[in-house]
Amino acid sequence: MRRMRVAAAMSVAALALAGCGSSTESTPGAGGASSSAKALKIGMAYDVGGRGDQSFNDAAAAGLDKAKKDLGVETKEATAVNGEPESAREERLQQLIDAGYKDVVAVGFAYAPSVKKVAAANPDAKISLIDSTDATGPNIVNLTFAEQQGSFLVGAAAALKSKTANIGFIGGVNTDLIKKFEAGYTAGAKAVKPAIKIQVKYLTQPPDFSGFGDPAKGKTAAEGMYQQGADVIYAAAGGSGGGLFTAATAAKKMAIGVDSDQALTAPPAARPYVITSMLKKVDVATFDFIKSLTEGKFVAGTKIYDLKANGVGYSTTGGQMDDIKAKLDAYKQQIIDGKIVVPAKP
Amino acid sequence: MSTAGLKAGAQVITGVVRRPRLSPAQIAIMVFFAVLIIAVLRVVTGAKDLASSGALAAAIGLAVPIGLAGLGGLWSERAGVVNIGLEGMMILGTWGAGFFGFHYGPWAGLLGAMFCGMIGGAIHAVATVVFGVDHIVSGVAINIIGLGAAKYLAARTFTGTPGGGPTQSPPLGELPTISIPGISPGLATLEKKQIFFVSDLASILGAFVTNLSILTLIALALVFMTWWVLWRTTFGLRLRSCGESPVAAETLGVNVYRYKFIAVLVSGAMAGLGGGYLALVAANIYRDGQTGGRGFIGLAAMIFGNWRPGGLVGGAALFGYTDAVQLRGGGSTVHALLLLLAVLVVAIGLWQILRRQRLIQGAVAIAAGAIVAGWFFVSETVSDEFTGMTPYVATLLVLALSSQRLRMPAADGQPYRKGEAG
Repeated sequence: MRRMRVAAAMSVAALALAGCGSSTESTPGAGGASSSAKALKIGMAYDVGGRGDQSFNDAAAAGLDKAKKDLGVETKEATAVNGEPESAREERLQQLIDAGYKDVVAVGFAYAPSVKKVAAANPDAKISLIDSTDATGPNIVNLTFAEQQGSFLVGAAAALKSKTANIGFIGGVNTDLIKKFEAGYTAGAKAVKPAIKIQVKYLTQPPDFSGFGDPAKGKTAAEGMYQQGADVIYAAAGGSGGGLFTAATAAKKMAIGVDSDQALTAPPAARPYVITSMLKKVDVATFDFIKSLTEGKFVAGTKIYDLKANGVGYSTTGGQMDDIKAKLDAYKQQIIDGKIVVPAKP
Repeated sequence: MSTAGLKAGAQVITGVVRRPRLSPAQIAIMVFFAVLIIAVLRVVTGAKDLASSGALAAAIGLAVPIGLAGLGGLWSERAGVVNIGLEGMMILGTWGAGFFGFHYGPWAGLLGAMFCGMIGGAIHAVATVVFGVDHIVSGVAINIIGLGAAKYLAARTFTGTPGGGPTQSPPLGELPTISIPGISPGLATLEKKQIFFVSDLASILGAFVTNLSILTLIALALVFMTWWVLWRTTFGLRLRSCGESPVAAETLGVNVYRYKFIAVLVSGAMAGLGGGYLALVAANIYRDGQTGGRGFIGLAAMIFGNWRPGGLVGGAALFGYTDAVQLRGGGSTVHALLLLLAVLVVAIGLWQILRRQRLIQGAVAIAAGAIVAGWFFVSETVSDEFTGMTPYVATLLVLALSSQRLRMPAADGQPYRKGEAG
């Protein structure tokens, strides 16, 4: 009976925890030319982690902030909670629309099923879904990124920088999206050194998404890889990536950030070890979407942000890429020209 | 009075078969064989990470927060209050460590974690002890409140801080770590030589004397202190009597409310400290959701350990070790553990047949062992989808195979109102 009780309480807890998302409202950006009564109202639904994750969600937030400043839109934000049921995401989107923020940015592939339903129920709402093409419709625009292309470049950088010919990849959760990062990284590293050893670890398996927010696990996995000979590790693991930087600082070995330029946001002691970051310009995509709305140029369908569109790339903060930049740019050109086709599946 | 209390407590548990207590020598022999088995396994399978000091250090790091949460559960349940709110108290602890750690340094963070966990404990104590709310309902509420409060407080206190944001704190200062000069480097050299058994022993010792966080030592001291206070002092005896038979305790003049209240407060502080370990030592940062259900695992570790500190440490260590091994080595190391599992299950099967004449049970166990062995020899590695389950499967297996005679405190979870003794 006792063990049953624990199980029951855990499931109750999981259900109940989902009830408490957070939302913040904000006033229209000061000084925006069009911040009149007719200012466009944009709702923003973040994935787990939310604003302040210094990674994926923050990139979307940066795009929103820019739109607020430059375009004078009004915004309302809400954040998903770990372990919540599907219905909570649906309600979040619907609540934003009901509150008058009828054009919504849904940040993250996890919103796909709820976007599908909410978009159908609210035909006059315009919804952009980031990172997924699983929900399509006349009022949905799918903003996707060629993460594998950006990851290819940092994979090549890792192979060029590695002295032990042994590198690592840490994925937060074993999903198709994160596998794109792995596939590109592996392909890039092998393009430079075909015999290179690549250690791969996913922190959790879906539907357990805690791997995106557990730095202790990220640190443990990174320590293991460093101790087994890796000298560069790339983490596509959201908030768990902070654990990689802690481990890299302690081991004095190299790390590669993801989504935004993490050499700017990592703890100061870790910054010298963050040699580059794979940039996924969610901010650009978010801003473009809002801009298209203000200009009345909304087009439904899939929009791919790849190397060609400058939607992905790598950062050069710290100057550690200077000596290999020419080589990386050569790879970049080959990908843009279609001479190298980067696989999206490992 | 205390002797009378002991009798009253003993009456309740008459008829329960006591498990033989292990002597220190027996424990030493068990540890010896555990190391020997790991050493053999390492040599046979070539999975070097099974006994590397890195893996063991990681295991300690993963086990301590679980152990502290379990210790919190132990205090509370020994006084008869079921504490399913450990997770919530841990979450409060992570925020406390983040906030006080950022503003006043890591030691203050440690105290802050305990203090915030204790607030969660105080709510639970007021609800269950004073108002007689169902323990599970109150505990679930604490989990929800803890999560919500920590999220809210984090957004209020960390937004705009350097390197921090609404969902995470700025990097926190580090607590001191301890390496014993002279011994640590020597053990590291010995470990590298890969000598059978000797190197394995060296790496285990190495993990305990190299870069050991001071908080790990504090946690170990707390385990010992808990044992001593609860089982060797009058205070502890009275506290446990509240968990076994509060009515009997009351008739003997024990202020049951007070003991339960103290126990739940200590429970909250321990769980909060577990959260503090996550934020201050394991991650150097507060982050939303970083507890990841460890409070519940702590509760499970306590049940695993039969509501005793030693067993609890065993449960936390088993979970921490298997989790560390799967996180570090992934499929190939877990693959090596398959062989161990196969051998163990077959051994149990043989024992069932030869010693206990249970043919069917023995045959089933041997067949299961053969399947696992087949899996080991056919495959090169365990696929990623399964490795993450390793700690849960290991804990479940040990629980299923070894401890079917768990006994929780007799009045655990039962409401108690003063004056019921009549």
